[in-house]
Amino acid sequence: MPKVLRKFALKLGNFIFSQPMTILTFTLILLAAAYAAGLLGSLTGLGGGVVVIPVLTLGFGVDFHYAVGAALVASIATSSGAGSAYVKEGITNVRLGMFLEIATTVGAVVGAWIAVWLNNAVIAFIYSLVLLLTAAVQFRRRAVRRAVEPSPLATRLRLNGSWPQPDGSLQAYGLRNVAGGFGVMGAAGMLSGILGIGSGVLKVIAMDDLMKCPFKVSTTTSNFMMGVTACASAVVYVQRGVITPGIAFPVMAGVLAGALTGARLLKRLDVRLLRKVFAVAVLGVALNMMYMALAGKF
Amino acid sequence: MKHSSSTPDTAIQALVCHTLRIGVGIALAVCLAGGSVYLVRHGGEALPDYTQFSYTDPAFHPAESTTLPGICGGVLAGSGRSLIQLGVLVLILTPVVRVLLSLLGYLRQRDWLYAAITAAVLAVILFNSFPA
Repeated sequence: MPKVLRKFALKLGNFIFSQPMTILTFTLILLAAAYAAGLLGSLTGLGGGVVVIPVLTLGFGVDFHYAVGAALVASIATSSGAGSAYVKEGITNVRLGMFLEIATTVGAVVGAWIAVWLNNAVIAFIYSLVLLLTAAVQFRRRAVRRAVEPSPLATRLRLNGSWPQPDGSLQAYGLRNVAGGFGVMGAAGMLSGILGIGSGVLKVIAMDDLMKCPFKVSTTTSNFMMGVTACASAVVYVQRGVITPGIAFPVMAGVLAGALTGARLLKRLDVRLLRKVFAVAVLGVALNMMYMALAGKF
Repeated sequence: MKHSSSTPDTAIQALVCHTLRIGVGIALAVCLAGGSVYLVRHGGEALPDYTQFSYTDPAFHPAESTTLPGICGGVLAGSGRSLIQLGVLVLILTPVVRVLLSLLGYLRQRDWLYAAITAAVLAVILFNSFPA
């Protein structure tokens, strides 16, 4: 970059950051960031909360407790916003979702009570671990699976379903290892209670690996469950004061708009490359956050 | 929205879909209204300190945004912040109403297993939201 240009950029940067930030600027920047978070969250299936937390904590230096409250709002907004589109298409397995919600809501209640005892550094460390796993899972190669025989428990609970194919026909699928999936989703609920995010990583382990659920079905069903799971701890979080209006307003409006755009784009977009790029970004944020947590910078 | 077949499952799916859509619409409208009031009144002020939070300091728990009577009172007094919180409450309530309507749907179909499962989920949420 030519010297003059660099000097100008430096001066411009200094000017912008020397101004005390007003509520209006904060709201507008956060609104834009939340829109991007909702868009990425629904395209990658990770939910809006995953992006909202680093934007608030690393970007604005906001206390982790407020960031978790904002992530919770973002999770409910993504889930309900994108959920209505997915459920309509008939991909979501509503019964499987209802059944696993017992595990995730109980987990969320436990998580919300544990959260009171955790300080910023511990929350940041747990969050960075979840991000590391998230990045790892995004890079994993997905095997094309043949239909499996349903387990007796899945049949007794009538969890097996069918989902629409591109050609319009319905393909039936059976589910395995119901108890294992139920247990891991309990842990996913607990992370939601502590971090406010719908932990997509544990969903992959529980529903894809253990229960052998088709990927699209597990993604939309997990998105469907995320809202109810977040609700189980959300009221407690409002009472504790960590869901604060000045942050909740831009996050909710931005994430909702982003999630609706994302759900619409998802139908005609090939998101494989986006997922890879996103995974690299997630890895970077995870390492940054882990370093700051361990170095005591929160 | 078209639902060609009318099996019990698609009936519940249609119900779920409508609930989510209406709930999200109301929540967003209330939140935007509150946000506009808040920005018009306070937009030019310096950003409040969000870098610190405390569970014990009462300054971090104003009644106008943390308790139901406080939020309702604030809304009646025209507080933008309380109106935003009301929007957040509607957003939280949306999935809960979805669970409640599904419960009624399963009961009407005499699907006792799933009525029980749905009731259990509802009980956990309510138990945690209204501590004794």
